Amino acid sequence: METRRQESHYARRLIEASLDPLITISIEGKITDMNEALANITGITREKLTGTDFFDYFTDPQKAREVYREVFANGSVTDSPLTLRHRNGKLTDVLFNGSVYRDDAGNALGVVIVARDVTAQKLLFNYSLSLIEASLDPLVTISTEGKITDMNQATVNITGITRENLKGTDFFDYFTEPQKAREVYEEVFAKGSVADSPLTLRHKNGKLTDVRFNGSVYKDDRGNVLGVVIVARDVTEQKRIATELTEAKVFAELATEIAEQAKSKAESATQIAEAAVKSKQQFLSNMSHEIRTPMNAIIGFTKVVLKTELSKKQQEYLNAIKISGDALIVLINDILDLAKVDAGKMTFAHVPFKLSSSISAMLHLFETKIHEKNLELIKEYDPAIPEILLGDPVRLHQIILNLVGNAVKFTSEGKITVCVRLLEETSEVVTIEFAITDTGIGIPENKLGNIFDDFQQATSGTSRLYGGTGLGLAIVKQLVESQGGSITVKSKLGQGSTFAFCLSFLKTNASVETEADMGIELETGIKNVKILVVEDIALNQLLMKTLLEEFGFEMEIAGNGKIAIEKMKTTSYDIILMDLQMPEMNGFEATEYIRRNMDSQVPIIALTADVTTVDVEKCKAVGMNDYISKPIDDKLLYSKIIKYLKKGDGRETGHKERAELPAQEKYTNLDYIKKHTRNNQSLINEMISLYLEQTPSLISEMKQCLVTEDWPTLQAAVHKMIPSFSIMGISGHFENKARQIQEYAGTKQNTEKIGALVSELEEVCTQVYTELEMEINLIKK
Amino acid sequence: MNTENKIKIFLVDDDAIFLRMMEIEFMQQDNFIVKTFATGELCMQHLPEDKPDVIILDYHLDGIDKNAMNGMETLDKIKALNPSIPVVMLSSQDKIDVAINCMHHKAFDYIVKSETAFMRLQKIITTILHYQKMEKELSWYMERM
Repeated sequence: METRRQESHYARRLIEASLDPLITISIEGKITDMNEALANITGITREKLTGTDFFDYFTDPQKAREVYREVFANGSVTDSPLTLRHRNGKLTDVLFNGSVYRDDAGNALGVVIVARDVTAQKLLFNYSLSLIEASLDPLVTISTEGKITDMNQATVNITGITRENLKGTDFFDYFTEPQKAREVYEEVFAKGSVADSPLTLRHKNGKLTDVRFNGSVYKDDRGNVLGVVIVARDVTEQKRIATELTEAKVFAELATEIAEQAKSKAESATQIAEAAVKSKQQFLSNMSHEIRTPMNAIIGFTKVVLKTELSKKQQEYLNAIKISGDALIVLINDILDLAKVDAGKMTFAHVPFKLSSSISAMLHLFETKIHEKNLELIKEYDPAIPEILLGDPVRLHQIILNLVGNAVKFTSEGKITVCVRLLEETSEVVTIEFAITDTGIGIPENKLGNIFDDFQQATSGTSRLYGGTGLGLAIVKQLVESQGGSITVKSKLGQGSTFAFCLSFLKTNASVETEADMGIELETGIKNVKILVVEDIALNQLLMKTLLEEFGFEMEIAGNGKIAIEKMKTTSYDIILMDLQMPEMNGFEATEYIRRNMDSQVPIIALTADVTTVDVEKCKAVGMNDYISKPIDDKLLYSKIIKYLKKGDGRETGHKERAELPAQEKYTNLDYIKKHTRNNQSLINEMISLYLEQTPSLISEMKQCLVTEDWPTLQAAVHKMIPSFSIMGISGHFENKARQIQEYAGTKQNTEKIGALVSELEEVCTQVYTELEMEINLIKK
Repeated sequence: MNTENKIKIFLVDDDAIFLRMMEIEFMQQDNFIVKTFATGELCMQHLPEDKPDVIILDYHLDGIDKNAMNGMETLDKIKALNPSIPVVMLSSQDKIDVAINCMHHKAFDYIVKSETAFMRLQKIITTILHYQKMEKELSWYMERM
């Protein structure tokens, strides 16, 4: 009895210790006994629980009652899921296990129930389910027959079909290639699993999704295959990136190719553009030659005939021819000037000149015309303007001639006022305003804007009435602006116009060299002069012959450079007049031969119809002393011949003479520096100082090398000197000498000639040194 | 303009006149920062901590000072230190084999000293920047791959 009591007590303790609620219920469904766990889960005390209706503690009392009935019917029930409710509302999922207990006679007394708490398990299950649902990859389970048994939300999204409709359907129907999908599926069974098999899923609206198919079979406890779990990984994004990358790569390759093409295109375009500029220059040069050559003969012979005995009528007609010819030449010059400006080849001199007398002389030219038209000319000249200025008087002439010429042309009554005013004066620079006012026809307001364009006149009828090419103002504008000035126009139709321009000039202490009067009086003391004319065109030969014989010079003619050289071998000439374009051997080649091979320093004056700067440079480069442009002005020709005859005392030909380039009295020209430093005085100053510092040491280095015959160092020294030539505006002629030294020293050939060249260079540099020193002192002042 | 967008240039030439002239010309353009060096050695001293966008290098740096590093040696050293810096060679001699040699030593271009040298340099610098931009874009694409 004691043992039994003990056993009973032990069983009781076990029951109480269980965390799962244990309950006995009477046949009526009333709670008869319970353990502490039930009290905990419901939150109700034992006392209160006892005798109450058991089913009231479930969320679904009806279902609980049914389970309860099942217990009686079957004698027991296993793992029936139900939910218990706590007093405060907390729910506990339980698995309901119950069995009937009977008395010894077998009568059912009630039911013993164990309600197993499965909340934690359920949580875990829910958690993994939500993981599966959250996956963006479709997850599907398929039966052995290939029917879908379960799937997650991703599958629904990708196929666009609801769960209900998917379930039980044929899995393979959702692929673009059902046959292939089936093969993969069979592979899963054969191997137990498959990895990363590429397939494509189809959405019901047709959208395709590329997937990687991963599957493995799942089995029951006994190892029977129940079906397949499939994960179809969505690789659309990966594929898209891969495609983009391929595209990017192709694009990059394409871009490189395009860039290369663009580069070669740009290169060829540059070449074409350069060639175009060159051919334009060449064309202008040729055209001017073609036009000037016949004009030369026309004007020249007209002048010659005018000097003969003529009747009044004849003289009148010949004058008309000459005036027309002159006008034509002016036109050609205008076109060439514009072309030069376009090509950036326009250069401006910096020479001292007297502004007031320059203006007077120009206005003097118009006096007859103004008198004829019965106009009044008023000159207002500001006395505060310094007497002598540094600038380009020739271009200034050109500008004022154009403007005053226009004023006279377009004014039939009233007056023309030329006003020269000092605008500004600093210690170095003066700015002067020139204004030309007329009382002429005026310019309509809407035409004022483009009056300075090429080939523009205010009205198309203007040229018919007044003549002119319409180039004048374009040239004036270019000339003014290229010198850093500005030009403005004010006008009222029918009342007149005012053209005003401002230019700056440097001040100078230099005095103006009074140009030798180019009188045609024969110089005494110059006799027995022998001149060789190298010219291929018969007309021009005849003209030169007429002119030179008139001057009293002896002359011979050579038809081309080759003949000239032959003649020079037997006869000695005092001066050579050399045409440039000739058959067989042209003027450049002939001059080069005379200077180099014959080593003759006889003065050579080029007769050129090509006045583009290109050819002028070339003339200097090959060693010509000067040039005269065609049509030849007899006075200019005479004065130039006299100049050279006086210089080398004429006759001596082998005598070494410093090549004199009349176009450039000074060795240096600071235009380049001024332009590139934008006239910054301190920078100019610095550049000059650098030159003065560097050059003497280079010269002494070169001389030292001559002694030691260290040709490589000599070459290096002269090499270092070369860039400074163009910076300081030293003639290319000397730069070429330097290059010659470089070449001789580099090749170690003709080293015996280097000495003479070096001393020549030294002489030039000394001269340059002096000039620059003066310049720097001037700047410092 | 802020200094970030400016193009940094090293000028290396032992001809002080030409060096200063180039510097003046570059300084007149607002978008350049210019450093000048009379020798290749000086240039190399500054190079590791100061990276220029372009180096303009004279071919003859050892003309007078025989011990000085010449233009080609300097070029090689620059390229060894940082092959990505474009170097434009300058020389007063117009010889094809010199030019070709420079190109073989990875110079970006070769220019003869003359009045137009500066203009050509400007053009070349524009081309260099254009290329660098293209290369940057290309490497960006390459990285995405």
